Amino acid sequence: MNMIEFRNVSKIYDNDSVALKDINLVIKKGEFVFMVGPSGSGKSTFIKLLIKEISSTNGTIFIAGRNICNLKNNRIPQLRRNIGCIFQDYKLLSDRTVFENIAFALEVIGKPNYIIKAQVPQVLKLVGLFNKMDSLPHQLSGGEQQRVCIARAFVNRPPILLADEPTGNLDPATSDGIMKLLSRINLIGTTVVMATHEKSIVNAMRRRVVELEDGIIIRDQRRGVYGS
Amino acid sequence: MSLVFRPKHIFGETFSSLRRNFLMGFTAITTVAITLFIVGVFSIIVFDIQSVLSSIESQVEIAVYLKDNISDDLKVYIEDEIKDWPEVEEVIFISKDQALERFKTQNEGSDILKEIQGNPLPASFEIRLKDPQKIEQVALRFVDKDGGNIEGVDEVIYGRNYVKKLFSITAVTGTIALLIIIILVLATMVLIFNTIRLSIYARRKEIEVMKLVGATNWYVRAPFLFEGSFEGFVGGSIAVLLLYFLNRFLLIKGETALVETMRIKNLALLGTNNVIIFIYLAIILLGILIGLLSSGFALRRYLKV
Repeated sequence: MNMIEFRNVSKIYDNDSVALKDINLVIKKGEFVFMVGPSGSGKSTFIKLLIKEISSTNGTIFIAGRNICNLKNNRIPQLRRNIGCIFQDYKLLSDRTVFENIAFALEVIGKPNYIIKAQVPQVLKLVGLFNKMDSLPHQLSGGEQQRVCIARAFVNRPPILLADEPTGNLDPATSDGIMKLLSRINLIGTTVVMATHEKSIVNAMRRRVVELEDGIIIRDQRRGVYGS
Repeated sequence: MSLVFRPKHIFGETFSSLRRNFLMGFTAITTVAITLFIVGVFSIIVFDIQSVLSSIESQVEIAVYLKDNISDDLKVYIEDEIKDWPEVEEVIFISKDQALERFKTQNEGSDILKEIQGNPLPASFEIRLKDPQKIEQVALRFVDKDGGNIEGVDEVIYGRNYVKKLFSITAVTGTIALLIIIILVLATMVLIFNTIRLSIYARRKEIEVMKLVGATNWYVRAPFLFEGSFEGFVGGSIAVLLLYFLNRFLLIKGETALVETMRIKNLALLGTNNVIIFIYLAIILLGILIGLLSSGFALRRYLKV
């Protein structure tokens, strides 16, 4: 089943800078895909298009077979509930505990308390932070904060997980732990798309690699490495 | 909808936001209170002026003085004619004798009564109109095509300029009050707009996360709309409280004087229609409306959801 499909997708920003040019790409359910390329190559635009933070200029994007280009504004939240997002800067709320940060993601989509109380500890066990539930983000290390971010993205069990440079601020050993965690999440059936420009991580994982340069796909390789 | 109206979410955010931006919130509430207080004072004053004017207006009459030699037939004919006019509320015939009686009681004890010999006073019709604005139109019917008075009529007297002035005073006071109120309401809206802008700014990270994990747009907006209308509501309530004390200790004395001297019934405070209750309610509603509108503008401007 095609989880993500881009058909002739282009994105031209208002200042006439072309971010993506005529992209055709299919990502199947359960795949783990690295989007690589230098900064400005269009990786972030790719991710923003998927959560419809921006709209494509041309072409169609399908997620789980549904065209998201003609999605009405009030349907966007529903789309985003099916896509988990993690970031280089974690985007955690500094005045809330680990538990509250994750619970927040469930609260705002209207999940009742008993579900929150059951699901948050479960996902914290998955990311290995069960005993740090009551800590505040600034009491955690960078790797731990990223795990909280992953827990928040995954607590709702979305079928797709997008990661934009998740290891950008982490040392290699910590990054390794984060990659293991993402692999586990991938193994239970989640489609993972990760934008990165870290060579060692891509090379170690041996997963599908899509390379972008100036908004064009210049390479799409199964079990690839960074740079051909 | 249940998702939007989650009390803990909405109330919690509003109060923590008011604590965070205490000074801004305080300023906005104070401005709402002052504005609406002034609106209230104006409303009462304008209402009372209108009551006084319409009571004066209703006392305005046309007096049609008849010639002494008018035949009974003509008199009856004119009276029937006047009664047929749709503008006429009431017409009273004052005979020469009644006119003299009235003159005597009005000038009792005065030397002028000794000077009067016989009865120099004319008989007259006193006409009261349903709509005093038509006074000139009706009065002109007693004028014939040559510009003189019609047969049997000696003189027609009505307070034309007096009435015109009254109407223009009413209009001018209303316009000035309205202008001042509009300016104050706009100033209030700018201040509430700013407090909401600050709350949005203070919570931009939360909003970003909310949008990312798929909170509905109304879920994101609701606390800010509530915050704005809450500030409007509190400001309006303070205004009502201030107005209540002003009424109790000051305005009610003025109205009492009006009632005693001019016998005016339909006043804001002392009238039987409880106008003041409507003014209080309207002020609170207006406060809420101002708050809702200005936070709505702030959301459109600063929160792209």
